[in-house]
Amino acid sequence: MTQDQETENFRAAGPDHGATPVAGEDAEMSRILRRETHSSRAAAAVIAAVLVIILCVYALLEAGVRAVGQPPWLVDPTTAAQRIIALPAGISPLLLGASGAVIAMVGLFFFLQAVLPGRRARHLLRDPRTAVVVDDEVLASSLARRARTAANVTQEQVMVVVSRQTVVVNVRPTSGSRVSQEAVLAAVQAELEEMSPVPMPAVRVNLSSSGVIGA
Amino acid sequence: MNGTPRALNRVLLFIIGIKLLAVGLLLVLLATVPAVATWWHGWAAGVWAGAEDAFRQTRFPGREESWLWIVAGVVLVAIIVAMIAWLSQQGKGRANLLVASEDDSDVDGEVRIGGGVAEQALRAALSERTDLAGASVATYEFRGQPGLRIRIQPRQGVAPHLLAAEVSQLVEALDLVIGQKTPVLVHMVSGARSRFTKAERVR
Repeated sequence: MTQDQETENFRAAGPDHGATPVAGEDAEMSRILRRETHSSRAAAAVIAAVLVIILCVYALLEAGVRAVGQPPWLVDPTTAAQRIIALPAGISPLLLGASGAVIAMVGLFFFLQAVLPGRRARHLLRDPRTAVVVDDEVLASSLARRARTAANVTQEQVMVVVSRQTVVVNVRPTSGSRVSQEAVLAAVQAELEEMSPVPMPAVRVNLSSSGVIGA
Repeated sequence: MNGTPRALNRVLLFIIGIKLLAVGLLLVLLATVPAVATWWHGWAAGVWAGAEDAFRQTRFPGREESWLWIVAGVVLVAIIVAMIAWLSQQGKGRANLLVASEDDSDVDGEVRIGGGVAEQALRAALSERTDLAGASVATYEFRGQPGLRIRIQPRQGVAPHLLAAEVSQLVEALDLVIGQKTPVLVHMVSGARSRFTKAERVR
């Protein structure tokens, strides 16, 4: 199930579900939340627009120079067209292929920016009044603190990775003292259930086999 | 919650991306496959002959130059203006007014409450907290309706749901002061790093 579908389900379930809705019941607010969890593609749009503007300004310059019958600035449009028709003659195949590959890569970048969903590393939290969006790193640091107290280790011995569907807790125990995997899992699970982020990730705890000395 | 035209961004990026991809692939094929080169010579020469013909027929009376150059210039200017308009749409949507409405009294006039009221009240309330590394509040207009965006940067290990509940209480207090429920977005950020990575890791 995708994040959008899940958000949709929570919206549909609403107050009858027993849980507090993700935002207010406002349809407008859920639109805003959807926008907040997806990239706007503004950066790629700015790059593309600037590229097109530069190309057009140059073409405009040459066309204008040509229209008033002045000598060309860099290359006369007619000569340019003839050179393009003559391809691949007149240029080394290596250079032609390389420039083609570069242009194709830039095109592929824009194409993927247009097609991919562009989800951001964020989760939603339930709140009756406000719409709450939390960066995954904030969730991770909170879960790491909880795992650290449950495992009774220092800050450096716990690493938490939060992605959309999973939370991975890596614990390196202090050498000589046992860390209970179940205790850490239960603590992190409890904290996560209190937060109840949308979508709810599954928790996995990894205890490393080698301990840390002197921690 | 700004007014960036997301659908338009994607459509235009798609068009530009597909074109660049096609040009790039054509250049690569021209450099590597001889059969493509022969096809290209025939096709491009035909197109260019048609274009030259068009230029010949559209000369200014008594002059060498064609007025098609002027037309091309106008089209290019139109594209440039459209691109600048597109650029100016990115990230727009900041608003100044939180409330602008007629009240029910007999006195003529309109009640207006600036966004600065909410922004400064919330910022002052949030700046006292020690569990926040930073906070900013801004008023945005989304589909004609004003809304507040609260950006807070919690310190390491702060529980986000407790923080959200407390910010929520602040917002409810603000609702009482203003006398109207404004949509509020609370965004908890962790710094610039989170914008570029998919999965978040913290020690």
